[in-house]
Amino acid sequence: MPVEGGRIVSGLIGLWLATAAAVVQAQQAPAIPAQMPPAAAQPTQEDHPTLVLPEPSPRWVYVLEPVFPYLVVSKVWIFDGDGLAVKGMINGGYTANAVLAHDKSRLWLAETYWSRGSRGTRTDVVTAFDTKTLDPVGEVVLPKGRFLVVPKKHNATLTSDGRYLLSFNMDPAFSLSVVDVEEMKYLGELDTQGCSLAFPTGDTSVASLCPDGRFLHITFDASGRATKTELGEPFFDAEKDPVFEHAAIHRPSKQGYFLSYDGWVYPVSLDGMPKVGERWKLQGAGDEGWRPGGWQLAAFHAGSKRLFVLMHEGGPWTHKQAGEEVWVFDVERKQRVARHKLPHHSHSMTVSQDEKPLLFAITETAMLQVLDATTGEEKGHREGVGISPYLLYTMGE
Amino acid sequence: MILDAFDRMMESAARQLAQRSSRRSILARLGTVLAGGAILPLLPVDKSGRAKLAHANEFAKTAQTKDPTQCNYWRYCSSDGYLCECCGGTMNKCPPGSYASPTSWIGTCINPDDGQAYLIAYQDCCGKDSCGLCPCLGTEGEMPSYRPELNNDIIWCFGAPSMVYHCSSQVLIGKA
Repeated sequence: MPVEGGRIVSGLIGLWLATAAAVVQAQQAPAIPAQMPPAAAQPTQEDHPTLVLPEPSPRWVYVLEPVFPYLVVSKVWIFDGDGLAVKGMINGGYTANAVLAHDKSRLWLAETYWSRGSRGTRTDVVTAFDTKTLDPVGEVVLPKGRFLVVPKKHNATLTSDGRYLLSFNMDPAFSLSVVDVEEMKYLGELDTQGCSLAFPTGDTSVASLCPDGRFLHITFDASGRATKTELGEPFFDAEKDPVFEHAAIHRPSKQGYFLSYDGWVYPVSLDGMPKVGERWKLQGAGDEGWRPGGWQLAAFHAGSKRLFVLMHEGGPWTHKQAGEEVWVFDVERKQRVARHKLPHHSHSMTVSQDEKPLLFAITETAMLQVLDATTGEEKGHREGVGISPYLLYTMGE
Repeated sequence: MILDAFDRMMESAARQLAQRSSRRSILARLGTVLAGGAILPLLPVDKSGRAKLAHANEFAKTAQTKDPTQCNYWRYCSSDGYLCECCGGTMNKCPPGSYASPTSWIGTCINPDDGQAYLIAYQDCCGKDSCGLCPCLGTEGEMPSYRPELNNDIIWCFGAPSMVYHCSSQVLIGKA
């Protein structure tokens, strides 16, 4: 492992040198003649501009695709939930994680590149994209790397006020890289003591899940240094019935719902040190054989206080099986209020946060489908959303 | 072709019954070390003979020993990802130009020819982009990534010269 760490450090030094050389070269090199003489420009009757998007709608969905057979590149597709028109696309690197700004102005990718595609110098970076132009507008190098894994939403997050982006790292030491996205500056690492993932709990605090089923809570200062570290009590049995990583988290209300493989719901207040409420079960009488499962398997609609969960019929260890139905729960009454049959079984799902929410779901055959989240009515679907779309994001979630 | 492969990978998730019990028992012990050390441990071989074979038996019901390009080949009971056997390598040799990772998770598989249980190291081959052929995915005993030693979503190339995942190999350690 020290070899690996040394490789990254030496690689980063190399990267710095290469960057410095490129800057010098750019300043000293003579202007490169235009490859195309101006006279070659074809006059046209019509203009041929590049479009700029309006402010993102809460009814748009951002679809992260890791492109499994070509992992060194990834994509983020943007679709309008009303009609499923493509609004645009962003290119990313190896096993990227996406984060949406609270003010809708930015989409960040925590991503990894090698200087020669699949080889060469490794660079881990948080890249900022303007959500209207979809142009990259800044980047912050992560000198300690990132956790390389099939993308999971909670490997990168923003603090409650949107100032700091936290990117989980296991390379192989466990930490959270802290990036000030206002200043676009790397601040440092928070030691997570063997715990993983990042759930925002305040303006300068974050929680991680530990291998023994408890939360670690870290408060940090403006320099990115931990000022307080707290360890909670185990709230689930990590050996017999672990909770899924893809908890339904609603940042504005600081509420989270962690689901276990067997179907227990752990409501968690993520306002400061996480407080776990009384657990309740998704399945009731007559629901034997049904389990939660998939990848991004749960979503919470804050306005209606509804929890949406992908469910399938299957035995133990079918926790990644695609959902056949979406079950809808009133989290206050802890009761199911609807069962939506999915026209196409889906492994990931989310809901928009507006008053008439849409439910988005993606299938293992790269189809995006959209349903009325309240009635379950199918509103449309679109095939060929890349090769392996995996995660879904909406504004305001 | 690619979509077919992806479909097969996903469909196989439900069918594959990989044996993970021994990994769990190994790593339950490591978990305590993990919490204190905060460094991902290299997985040791469980030679204690405490391996539970219930899941291996389940996989072995449909396992075969003739065709290593199929997901039900006996050594693949806990294998996740693209089979090196289909990518220019074999189950225990990395394809030309790729690097064998020294780290892995470990499964216990039963060879149906002799009924014996064997320990298998699922050491990835790294240094090229993902092979994309013969995906096999098991979820038996698989845990979320906050228990990284039991998670199959992680790029297990720690310690290799490159963290770029290429394919999954299945190297015999010995009898369980």
